[in-house]
Amino acid sequence: MQTETEIQSGGGQPVRCLLGMLGTDVHSKGIRTIAQLLRDAGIEVIYLGEHNSVKGMASAAVDEDADLVGLSFSSAAYVTYTRQLVEEMKRIGAQDIPIMLGGIIHPDDHAELREMGVRGIFGAGSTTEEIVEFVRSMGRSQ
Amino acid sequence: MTDQSENIFGNLEELEVKLSRTKSWGGIETENSYGPADTSDADYAEKLGDPGTFPFTRGAYPKMYRSRMWTLRNIVGYGAPEDTRDGLEKVLASGGTGINIVVDPLTTQSIDPDHPSFGPEVGLEGCSLPTANDIDRLLDGVDLSKIDTAWHWAAMAYPMVAAVHVKRGQPLETLQGSSMPDMLQETLSGWGERLVPTVLGHKTTVDEIEYSVQNSPRWALGMPQAYDLRERGLTPAGEIALGMAFINKTLEDLVERGLHVDQIAPSLAWVSTSDIDFFEEVAKFRALRRFWATTMKDRFGAQDVRSMRLRVACHTSGKSLVYKQPLNNLTRTAIEGFAALCGGVQSLEVCTFDEPVGVPTHEARDLAIRQQQILANEVGAARVADPLGGSWYVEALTDAVETEAKAMLDQIEKIGLLKAISDGTIEQMMDDHNLKIQRELDDGERIVVGGNRFMPEEEPAPQRFTFDRTNTENHIRRFIALKGSRDQDRWRDALRTVHSVAKSGGNPIGPMIDAFVADASVGEVWGSIRVAHGLSYDPYDTLEAPLDYAD
Repeated sequence: MQTETEIQSGGGQPVRCLLGMLGTDVHSKGIRTIAQLLRDAGIEVIYLGEHNSVKGMASAAVDEDADLVGLSFSSAAYVTYTRQLVEEMKRIGAQDIPIMLGGIIHPDDHAELREMGVRGIFGAGSTTEEIVEFVRSMGRSQ
Repeated sequence: MTDQSENIFGNLEELEVKLSRTKSWGGIETENSYGPADTSDADYAEKLGDPGTFPFTRGAYPKMYRSRMWTLRNIVGYGAPEDTRDGLEKVLASGGTGINIVVDPLTTQSIDPDHPSFGPEVGLEGCSLPTANDIDRLLDGVDLSKIDTAWHWAAMAYPMVAAVHVKRGQPLETLQGSSMPDMLQETLSGWGERLVPTVLGHKTTVDEIEYSVQNSPRWALGMPQAYDLRERGLTPAGEIALGMAFINKTLEDLVERGLHVDQIAPSLAWVSTSDIDFFEEVAKFRALRRFWATTMKDRFGAQDVRSMRLRVACHTSGKSLVYKQPLNNLTRTAIEGFAALCGGVQSLEVCTFDEPVGVPTHEARDLAIRQQQILANEVGAARVADPLGGSWYVEALTDAVETEAKAMLDQIEKIGLLKAISDGTIEQMMDDHNLKIQRELDDGERIVVGGNRFMPEEEPAPQRFTFDRTNTENHIRRFIALKGSRDQDRWRDALRTVHSVAKSGGNPIGPMIDAFVADASVGEVWGSIRVAHGLSYDPYDTLEAPLDYAD
């Protein structure tokens, strides 16, 4: 087992982070940028891009042995889609893989998202540092 | 619909904003424009020229807003056609002068509202308009030969609106309005090769322009749609470079099909943005008009002045707006709108201050219209053509933007536009740009108020626009019912024609109009085009084609 310090200092196995988008949303500028910034911080990013299905995303999380799944939304349908993904991950036994959200996430929805098990919410005003910190904290030893 | 709303739509032609005053606020009378004492100076004539003269750096028209005010636009679209109709009526009642419609992402991508994967998204970020009947409902009582409708929508807008006009017994020649047939920008703005393969996207744009300039000469084409490209990740110079690369390639292909530039260019208008750097945006609009004029004249041999005189449709930058302390966005949009007017645009939409939150509230829309009215009537933004012309700073910036754009365009054309898109070169260029900006924000070298500095104290959650989904649910049921009740033979024959014409390499726009007249849906028409190009019917690989494309 690694300690948190080892992971954060880059020692041992890097965190594997699956990033992608659901639905018809095409606003991928943010997630593409964060993918590169996470890579620069030593995180292994599996970038699925836009237009994934809920099923495809859930099974990729398992197949890619991801430590966490990151979704970006600019569509207001995010609560529905996130719930569908959480359900699907439960169904295939991947409920332990944490989920984080980025993009346009309204504060009024935070409680509902947390309740369904979303671990990280990074809306407007989140810094690169906060996101990198969070992703690192989702490594295996946690 | 109420009587009042019928009046609002019926009198739309009379709603044009007029310049209220040519005197300054303090009472000094002003000229149409100002210039150097000696206008025969060769350098002035070559690089600037008076407003309304080649190379149009100083504006498209001699008197600019004195002769014709800009069109004050306010983009509307949510829910079912009935919902968007309601929003349009409110905009016109506040003093908006155009009908400006945005469709939902499903319709934009030619996905029908009964697609099993995307129910929650129907009508959420724009109006759901899967059939010509839906457009007819939205524009009931709007005479499409008299009233301009502007569609924030790519390849399908023209054939669908044309189908409505035909269904109403009107000839295509009288159809008026505008759409944005630029499909390559969609490939680059997150749609990717999966939704719009580069080659198919480009061919569709060329087909549509060829067809519409020949059949509906009063239909205007927002091409290139450089707004989304800028938002995706380009500098002002990059906007000119990539936009001109699109224009050059498109015109070359149309010329190869036997058209002359003067049959096409007068129908085109550049769809641009106005970002937060006031002086740089003014310089961009000026450099852009010069770039366009010289390209049309020197590269394509244009002779018609309307080909060389670029018109610009501007929507202020959504990306520049900040989620936190959103009222600050009114400051941002006022400056961006002012830049667009000092830059001489022909139509302007100012983002609502709550754009980073979601679909605008009615109050936010109202303020966006008031803002343009303040610019027009109080600030005096419309009084004098090219008010910043001759400023050493602005002229130097204009030259610098132009030089940088030329270098980028050369670089893109050296690779070849279509190759540079399909091999990811352009996407990488945009990603690099965005990464650079994010790093500058992270380092504090670039400061955005409420973005990375000067963060507000905890504030209440921003108000968001919500609407009743009942109309949308009924609209989806109505769509499914239509599929069962339409003339099946006529529908099938029409789609087979779309498919066979597209497959043989012909221009399928005419058959697409016929298919929409026969009540085919947007998903069915585009799906037939996809199949003809050897792609899956449904880009999301869930649905099968609802008919055999027998040869």
